Amino acid sequence: MFNVTKRSFIGLMAGVSMTLLTSGAMADDGDIVIGGSLPLTGVFAFAGVAIEAGMQDYISIVNEAGGIDGRKVRLAYEDTGYKVDQSVAVFNKLTSQEDIHLYYGDSTGFAKTIAPELARKQSMIMGGASFASELNDPEAFPYTFMAGPDYSEMFSILLEYIAKEKPGAKIVLVNSDSEFGRDPIEPARAKAAELGLNIVEEIITPPGSVDVSTEVLKLRRAQPDYTLFHGYILAPLPEFMTQAKELGLTTKFMGTFWSMDSSIWAGSGDVADGFMGVMPYRYYYDDAADAPMLDRIRAMRPEYQATGYMQGFVTAMLMVEASKRVIDAGDELNGATLKTALNTIKDFDTGGVIGVPISIPGNSIPVGRVYQYDSSAQKMLPVSDWISLQE
Amino acid sequence: MIIGTAKETYGADQALLTTRPQQVWMVILLASLLVAPFVFNAYWQYLACLVLINVVAATGLNILTGFTGQVSLGQAAFMAVGAYTVAWLDREAGTPFLVNILLGGGVAAAIGIVVGIPSLRVKGLYLAIATIAASFILHFIFAHWTSVTGGSSGINVSPARIFGIELLTYFQLYWLIMPVAVLMVLATANLFRTRIGRAFIAIRDRDISAEVLGIPLLRYKLMSFAIASFYAGIAGGMWAYFFRVVTPESFPFLTSIFLLAAIIVGGMGTIIGAVIGAIFMTLTPELLRYVVEWVSPWLPNAATLLSPVRTVVFGALIMGFLVFEPQGIAEIIQRIRRYFRVWPFKT
Amino acid sequence: MNELMFFIEVSLAGLGSGALLALTALAFVLIYKATRVINLAVGEIMMLGAYLFMAFTAGMGLSAWIALPLAIAGGALTGAIVERGIIRPMLGESAISTFMVTVGLGSVIVGLVELIWGTEPRSLPAFISSAPVFLGDAYVSRKIVVSFVVASVVIATFLILFRFWRGGVALRATATDQAAAYSCGINVPRVFSIAWTISCGTAAGAGVLLGAIGGLSSAMGAFGLSALVVVIVGGLDSVLGALIAGLCLGLIQSWAGTYLGGEYQSVVTFGLLIIALMIRPYGLFGTHEIERL
Repeated sequence: MFNVTKRSFIGLMAGVSMTLLTSGAMADDGDIVIGGSLPLTGVFAFAGVAIEAGMQDYISIVNEAGGIDGRKVRLAYEDTGYKVDQSVAVFNKLTSQEDIHLYYGDSTGFAKTIAPELARKQSMIMGGASFASELNDPEAFPYTFMAGPDYSEMFSILLEYIAKEKPGAKIVLVNSDSEFGRDPIEPARAKAAELGLNIVEEIITPPGSVDVSTEVLKLRRAQPDYTLFHGYILAPLPEFMTQAKELGLTTKFMGTFWSMDSSIWAGSGDVADGFMGVMPYRYYYDDAADAPMLDRIRAMRPEYQATGYMQGFVTAMLMVEASKRVIDAGDELNGATLKTALNTIKDFDTGGVIGVPISIPGNSIPVGRVYQYDSSAQKMLPVSDWISLQE
Repeated sequence: MIIGTAKETYGADQALLTTRPQQVWMVILLASLLVAPFVFNAYWQYLACLVLINVVAATGLNILTGFTGQVSLGQAAFMAVGAYTVAWLDREAGTPFLVNILLGGGVAAAIGIVVGIPSLRVKGLYLAIATIAASFILHFIFAHWTSVTGGSSGINVSPARIFGIELLTYFQLYWLIMPVAVLMVLATANLFRTRIGRAFIAIRDRDISAEVLGIPLLRYKLMSFAIASFYAGIAGGMWAYFFRVVTPESFPFLTSIFLLAAIIVGGMGTIIGAVIGAIFMTLTPELLRYVVEWVSPWLPNAATLLSPVRTVVFGALIMGFLVFEPQGIAEIIQRIRRYFRVWPFKT
Repeated sequence: MNELMFFIEVSLAGLGSGALLALTALAFVLIYKATRVINLAVGEIMMLGAYLFMAFTAGMGLSAWIALPLAIAGGALTGAIVERGIIRPMLGESAISTFMVTVGLGSVIVGLVELIWGTEPRSLPAFISSAPVFLGDAYVSRKIVVSFVVASVVIATFLILFRFWRGGVALRATATDQAAAYSCGINVPRVFSIAWTISCGTAAGAGVLLGAIGGLSSAMGAFGLSALVVVIVGGLDSVLGALIAGLCLGLIQSWAGTYLGGEYQSVVTFGLLIIALMIRPYGLFGTHEIERL
């Protein structure tokens, strides 16, 4: 008797909570909340703090202009230390406390992990710090997007640049042993074969590894023309570059988005000179004429802001734009409507943060520019035009 | 004041709870466990589930380390084994969740026996280090046996289903986790009234003497490892249904240290110690979050301080309890009980 | 370049990193020899030494030659405070408790470092020139050579000290039997303090070298776990064992990293540990502990 009552009671409670949850989603008035699992401490802290600043700044710009149809935007976030289970815990906490339709995730691991939950909830879309190529698949990950090209698209841009500069060049890939690091290896192999470039060695470093002397030996044995790093922010790149230069290796070094901030190379001196990579945004100090948003950012933040700032800024911009389109069409905010609205973004002007008008046909923005580090100016300077990959 | 206990029936003699205050407290505890999810909001329900999972894992570790004296820093790895087993079964076989969790515990127990084999050769700190090594090797297997474990991406677990209802919200999961935790703790309390439990305690106190007395060390040490790993596997299995994703980073080495710290702080070698230690260590970071929030008007950037402060407090708790109160919170509770037992006389 | 030359270069790199492991293992052995405590916080004290060095050179602009002794002194001071404040009250408690206290200590040091210097990884200002060193045709990174030389000198010094210096003999005496040492007039508490001070100073110095090679981060302490493997394999109370096991482990790690792949390094290290524990539980050169009822 007691069991039956308990069971039906549980069923009743489940039903009640379901109704409450869905009815909660129906009520759309009030603040629009962007949830965030942000890596404010840990190895990604440098980027996480910048991302938070970028998002908050864009949100205040929007709120000053009256919000989205009068509704204010708000960022609800917590620190995750760049650990996946912490990110999941924060996600669970924030989504239970607030009505969230837009989320910022801190890592490739978290994005992949939370995708089934997103598919089950169907209530939100998620951008984040990850540009993983695996996520750039609208069928497998219908509620995920990224505010830039994915890592294999970045590699494609770099490989095409290499093929133009030196056809048939020898390349070494150096990746960290993590999901973030291993993501573009397969597509890079395919693209290099397609372009006639020769990958002579693939080096994997354990995450958090301290001593790279054996890896440098492998580099020396391979004698590549170009060395492509991915899966790192700073360490152990300067060590690689220092030892390689001392050995007289003539290889040029390249990296991907998260290694491309000017300030992290400032401490490395001349070793970093010539380091190249792909960045989809303009830098804080870029004073191009057609970039009014950069002027505005410089007015709001007098000191240098890292590339993570731009990433957060643009992600927030896209989230707000998608929400605006949904609300203007009179629909309710949920995963499907927001993603569809995001995909309607064509030739959108980011105010100059990205140098060309952008479209989001799938889950990414396949646009980028090759920059090179100039150690005397301590800045990353562009060495190519804005490249749009028509995938 | 309790002067003596006169038992009149065999039932009373065999009872777990002998005194009236103990029984009253137990009733209060069970009642609050039943009422809690209705008064808690979703975040506190989440915390309650997490605490109960840690209670199961800590109780298992307590059996191994507190009662049998085999220091193990591999409990998190066994939780991972249980979690991965559950996730794999869910993906491949689709068996009901209770079966999955039990099998998770079983596989973890089997691995526990393998890891326990060095305990016959080495003791004390050397054994602790062997368990550290085992946990790193297991971590490597989880990260690189991609066909089974999904490598670094891990495995997603579909929600547990009971009679067609999916257990999705924390409220629902609580009703899975809480009974299991209560059962496991009860089982532990009963274990130490049997000869197996007494053999464990003998091994802890002086294993050479225990062997002289006729306790086969091989069998009982491995049994202890197996039981502790079973508990860890069950905790890991519940964790899998709770977080719904299992990756190699879900159970880092730090979790093993956390569990060992929990039983030290709570009181090694007592049932209530593991429970209280797990509750205390799980809730302290949350308490710190409130403290940091409270401080944040005076200290900007307080959010970035939370993680280092937690690390410092964690270490300080371990050191503080070991130096000042080596027998943990359980001892403090016993002191309070003794005080009230002879009240109004002084102890 | 041929395979043999590559193999020699890999081995040299391995010997170099092995020397650093041996130096860290020395810190473990010193404390264990004197006080029978395994100090799992050695990795964190290394990190503290590296951060102090960075604070002195980058923060205060002192030259490396002044900052290095200061960093070592800082580590030594930490060791003394820890020994007096935390380890002394724990005398007589079980070894597991003291072990866990050092784990807690490591955690506290990591948290403090994060609070003071932030959580992002940093790099040390270069104080060792990077010009490569060539032995014949084989290349070795200069930093590796420097750490090898430093580690060898330090370990050789300690080996001689333990053999001939009265303090070394006193250390071995207290390790063997505290009561007998007391009755011989050895100031046992002072021996403990000295052991901890020197050991933590050594760890801090090794930390500076480690930071120079690989940069600083709050996770640097994980190097201590590799050093722990060295200590177990070599024998917890044997300096010579620390040296030989350190060099061997460095070689093995280097070969595994090169020929199997970087991700196999840690599994090979810990697999070696388990094998060593099964075959010779007290290490290659450790003293077999006889348990009496």
